[in-house]
Amino acid sequence: MVHTNSLPKVAATCSQPSKLPGIFRKIYQSQYALYVLSIVLCIGAWHLGAIYKILGSFLPTPLEVLQEFLVLSTDTLAGKTLLWHLWSSIHRVLIGWALAVVIAVPLGVFMALNDYVRAIVKPVFDLLKPMPPISWISLAILWFGMGEESKVFIIAIGSFVPCILNSYNGIRLVDPALYDAARMLGANRRQEILEVSFFGSSPAIFAGLQISLSIAWSCVLAAELVGSRSGMGFIIIMGMNQLNPAMIVAGMIVIAITAWLISVAMGRLERFICPWKREIPL
Amino acid sequence: MTQNKLKISCQNVCKTFVQKETQHVHVLENIDLDVEENELLVLLGPGQSGKSTLLRIIAGLEEPSDGQVLLNGKKVTQPGPDRSMVFQTYSLFPWRTVRGNVEMGLKWKGVPKQERREIGQKYIDLVGLTGFEKSFPHQLSGGMKQRVGIARAYANNPEVLLLDEPFGQLDAQTRYLMEQEIVRIWQQEKKTVLFVTNNIDEAIYIGDRIVVMEGKLPGRLHSSYAIDLPRPRDHADIAFLELRREITSATELTL
Repeated sequence: MVHTNSLPKVAATCSQPSKLPGIFRKIYQSQYALYVLSIVLCIGAWHLGAIYKILGSFLPTPLEVLQEFLVLSTDTLAGKTLLWHLWSSIHRVLIGWALAVVIAVPLGVFMALNDYVRAIVKPVFDLLKPMPPISWISLAILWFGMGEESKVFIIAIGSFVPCILNSYNGIRLVDPALYDAARMLGANRRQEILEVSFFGSSPAIFAGLQISLSIAWSCVLAAELVGSRSGMGFIIIMGMNQLNPAMIVAGMIVIAITAWLISVAMGRLERFICPWKREIPL
Repeated sequence: MTQNKLKISCQNVCKTFVQKETQHVHVLENIDLDVEENELLVLLGPGQSGKSTLLRIIAGLEEPSDGQVLLNGKKVTQPGPDRSMVFQTYSLFPWRTVRGNVEMGLKWKGVPKQERREIGQKYIDLVGLTGFEKSFPHQLSGGMKQRVGIARAYANNPEVLLLDEPFGQLDAQTRYLMEQEIVRIWQQEKKTVLFVTNNIDEAIYIGDRIVVMEGKLPGRLHSSYAIDLPRPRDHADIAFLELRREITSATELTL
């Protein structure tokens, strides 16, 4: 509710009297009705595209996807249901991401606060930064095998970069006048860092956590596509192997909804942790 | 005034900023300035005349390249609890409420919570922000933000209050109001106040004494005027306007 209200009410912009009958005018003027209309049109276009086979026979109809979703939820694939596969992906994401956060955030903070740490860490980090995390997959499999470790490794590598970058920049971009204010109020160096550096950079660090979580989510899929017996990536690759596009699309939609829910939860958490930040509509 | 105690003494203060190896900017040159206890001294000068730098040196945020600043006869080397500052850009902690901001200095000093709350409330009331204790800075207008800045500076109970163009970002109406407020607060709680401004009306309205700086770098003191107009002062009063003309013509500054 908080986010959607930022749009100006459509009714305010169409003030001239409309010739449409009452009920249609009401629908036309309500932004929520327009949201529903947008989704209905999109699904309708998809359905038409599927039955007229504009992309060959490999575009399932929305109904087929829904059926496939129900099948996946109740029946098993590789011995597990959809919910279990979803959980195994989330499980990997959480471990890899948490691992990266625990290492990268303090490292970024120390880089920003201490010139020696920066001089030692930054060149290595700058070298690693532009490497796409997915390019590590082959090495990860050679090092850690096909098990959980290689997937967690890829996720951690992917999450690492935005975490360290945002912590580092977050602290360096704190308004220097706030340090002056703290010093004038009698803060010692420790109090200065605790108050100004920590609070001043926390929105940026939090943004880094959010970005890295969404990167972690794409990394887990890539890792599961290459070699896995479980997870959402596995469902998608099975859909391809079984020539079952409905399974692929159902998997994609579950992935999207999960990612969306995670980002909403993170947004809520941010408003709870940093209430001083102006509310930014998502 | 002569029997008053000498509070701040700037002796031959010079400041040169080195921007590159070869590029030196002389910002202050041979500044000698004495401020008496409980005096409300206004440093008046146009932008880029070094007045804020002088204030930051007195605050201890910058070191002079030469000369020294004495506070109660002791050399200033770093910021201390005997001085508080109000900043042009407010510099409130955005993550603290009004109360949190005002109490911050006391918290760092280790003042117990109950006492902190009482002192904080006293100054929140003094600047007229009663009822806004739990607001965050971004929820306040510019004038209210600077009221928090003033309360925060006062709550630390400094001997010297340094104000660096505190009303520079306010609209004209709010600015007049805040000028009245700062005089009222100063009359209620006498402190030695150094007020930096580029606005001559503000300077005459507020100051016991105005020290005018030269208009270009390196910054030097040009002249000094004692203002003994009765308070509350009136911007449109004949004496006020004559003084304004006297200062502008003598300093050849378009202020």
